[in-house]
Amino acid sequence: MSSPNSTYSEEAKKGIASPRLQASLHNLQHRFGKGAMDLWANMEDQDMRRRVKKSRMKNLAHLDIVLDELAEKVRARGGNIYFAKTAQDAIDYTLAVARKNKVKRVVKGKSMTSMEIGIDPALEDEGIEVVETDLGEYIIQLAGDTPSHIIAPCIHMDRNQIGKLFAEKLGIDHTNDPPTLTMAARKALREKLLSADMGLTGCNLACAETGHISLVSNEGNIRMSTTMPPVHVALMGMERIVATLEEHRETTQLLTRGAALQKLSTYVSFIGGPSSDDDPDGPKEFHLVIIDNGRSKILADPEFREVLACIRCGACLNICPVYGRIGGHAYNSTYCGPIGAVVTPLLDGINKHADLCKGETLCGACKDICPVQIDLPRMLAALRHKLAYGSDRWNTKQHNPAEAYTFRIWRLLVTKSSLYQYLIKIARFFQRPFVTKNHMIRKMAGIASGWTDGRDLPPIAPKTFAELWEEKYSKNRPAAPKAAEEEN
Amino acid sequence: MDNQDTFLSNIRTALDKAPGIKRSKTTFPELFASTNTAEILQKVRSRTVAEQDQLIEILRENGNSLNVCTHIAVSFDEAAAVVVDLIRTKEPEFNHTKHVMLHDHPDVAALNLWNRFNREAVTLHTSFNSDQQIKDKTIASFIGITAPTNAVADSATLIQLTEPGRPRSTSLLPSIHIAILRRENLLADLTEAYALLEEEAHLDSLVFISGPSKTADIEAHMVNGAHGPREVHFIVLCEPMPEQSVEELSDEKSEIR
Repeated sequence: MSSPNSTYSEEAKKGIASPRLQASLHNLQHRFGKGAMDLWANMEDQDMRRRVKKSRMKNLAHLDIVLDELAEKVRARGGNIYFAKTAQDAIDYTLAVARKNKVKRVVKGKSMTSMEIGIDPALEDEGIEVVETDLGEYIIQLAGDTPSHIIAPCIHMDRNQIGKLFAEKLGIDHTNDPPTLTMAARKALREKLLSADMGLTGCNLACAETGHISLVSNEGNIRMSTTMPPVHVALMGMERIVATLEEHRETTQLLTRGAALQKLSTYVSFIGGPSSDDDPDGPKEFHLVIIDNGRSKILADPEFREVLACIRCGACLNICPVYGRIGGHAYNSTYCGPIGAVVTPLLDGINKHADLCKGETLCGACKDICPVQIDLPRMLAALRHKLAYGSDRWNTKQHNPAEAYTFRIWRLLVTKSSLYQYLIKIARFFQRPFVTKNHMIRKMAGIASGWTDGRDLPPIAPKTFAELWEEKYSKNRPAAPKAAEEEN
Repeated sequence: MDNQDTFLSNIRTALDKAPGIKRSKTTFPELFASTNTAEILQKVRSRTVAEQDQLIEILRENGNSLNVCTHIAVSFDEAAAVVVDLIRTKEPEFNHTKHVMLHDHPDVAALNLWNRFNREAVTLHTSFNSDQQIKDKTIASFIGITAPTNAVADSATLIQLTEPGRPRSTSLLPSIHIAILRRENLLADLTEAYALLEEEAHLDSLVFISGPSKTADIEAHMVNGAHGPREVHFIVLCEPMPEQSVEELSDEKSEIR
């Protein structure tokens, strides 16, 4: 999140220019995007998505009560709860737990919250080895890269790159066979998982009524990370909670369907505290870190509260025409795609991430595919409004005063017909040197040159529509059809 | 707790409520309200053998699509034969010796596996609570055998509660997981499964398992066995039902959980 905004277009260009990424994104969207839309269309219980959305919003409106209930239940089983106002609070607490337990190696289950707060560098600075155990995240970590999709982190890499990486880093014979590569990672990570001192995971969905966090995975790495090490620390965004088991069932089903068209992921683990005295295995210490880090500010704004209903399935990435071309790196954030374009500016600064909401098309596909029907296009437009006019609440400055000034002048021109017609005539004259033989403008001058960087523009027509209309019809208007003909 | 109070006060401020006044769940009864599950439970408990057999077929079909192999056994002897065959024909993945970890469960004990390997080098371990070496023995095992509480036909899901003598790692560390299921413990869908979980008094740790471990992180190529077991076998025990009246049958079922 630290790079400047200008990387959006640079990274987008790189993404568009990569045939490998384009092929992967096409396959992903073709399979999962279309698949999810088919699932929603053919779902027997057509009211389920609306119901879950309603329950998500209800729980947000009573968040203090459900979090209190969760904390009480987890504490009753001997679990530790820490409420972290900021990312730094969460890091400090986790480091304190690691120091107390003399942790040398941490195994991680895939967690975007952990990336959001930047826990990895903090642990590494303490001399602690941090190992990602989700295969995609592990590949990304070995490559020193960043994830580019919420559930398929290394979608931008192909088997040849991964084969080369494994040969270098794991010392295996070079192969580009996915099963052989997977087995190599299985062996390497098993050693790490069985010898780690601490497991660090996120939380997909907590259930207040029973006092559990739940985690979904297909690989089993999260079960390993929460079962084998003696200490488990779970990082949970404060909004990832349902009140009842019934809500948990429906929300989880929408999560796994939205994410990968699965009725359920391979594993859904419910963890309610440390292993009890008569449990044969499981961690002896359990810490749940509930994180705000800017979420309460979103909660307080009725315009954006809805985005906290997100269940992070990543379905919106699988249909977005913009993400589908530029890939995840352009978003320069833990959260990419349409959800990232809304959440990242809200968590990390609207001005800082101004390109994200401007880059989306407002086509509405993300709202259609969202399992909980979050109106992302509305919020993208609201963010653009903040950038256009500034916002005290969000400490947002007017993004481009020159652009705002230009549009004010434009408004003046288009609302004064005679002035507009006059200027069009002048523009027709000045455009002549730019019109090429194929009657297109290939390159414009000065600040307008950006418009023709990626495409040719048609020149201003010799006559405007209004002029043509005037010529053809106003003086020679056709007679109205006769009433008798109409009856026939 | 100070830290909790400050945090929750801040949330109340965000919600435009008085920050200093703790809101109680009793004031909002609709917040934790759930649909009455009595009807669902009644349906589960009064399911006929024919209906249960239909569920086996659905379980088998949905399991197939997840690469789960479903075996039907009419007796413990038949179930044991399936297990013995798997132990004999499969090869260990991480070492060269055949260790098998068994949950301390009557349905696993009833397989009498100890009595079936006279000439082969197969070591059977049972996860007795008092055994301090369960972790090492499980790491060494290439097959783990459990008897999950229930299985859900619609999603081919096993429901495994953590209980004394039934560690989580038995269905996780070995390369092959064998689940012994009783026909009467099959459920139609997750709605039934959650209704039963709501009845559970001590719900500490549990897991839903739907098929073998898998990943598609390399070019969307599906591979079984990312971290957990690469093979999962269901053995459904369908012991012939003795002649019983419907009332007796329903009484018995209500005790099975």
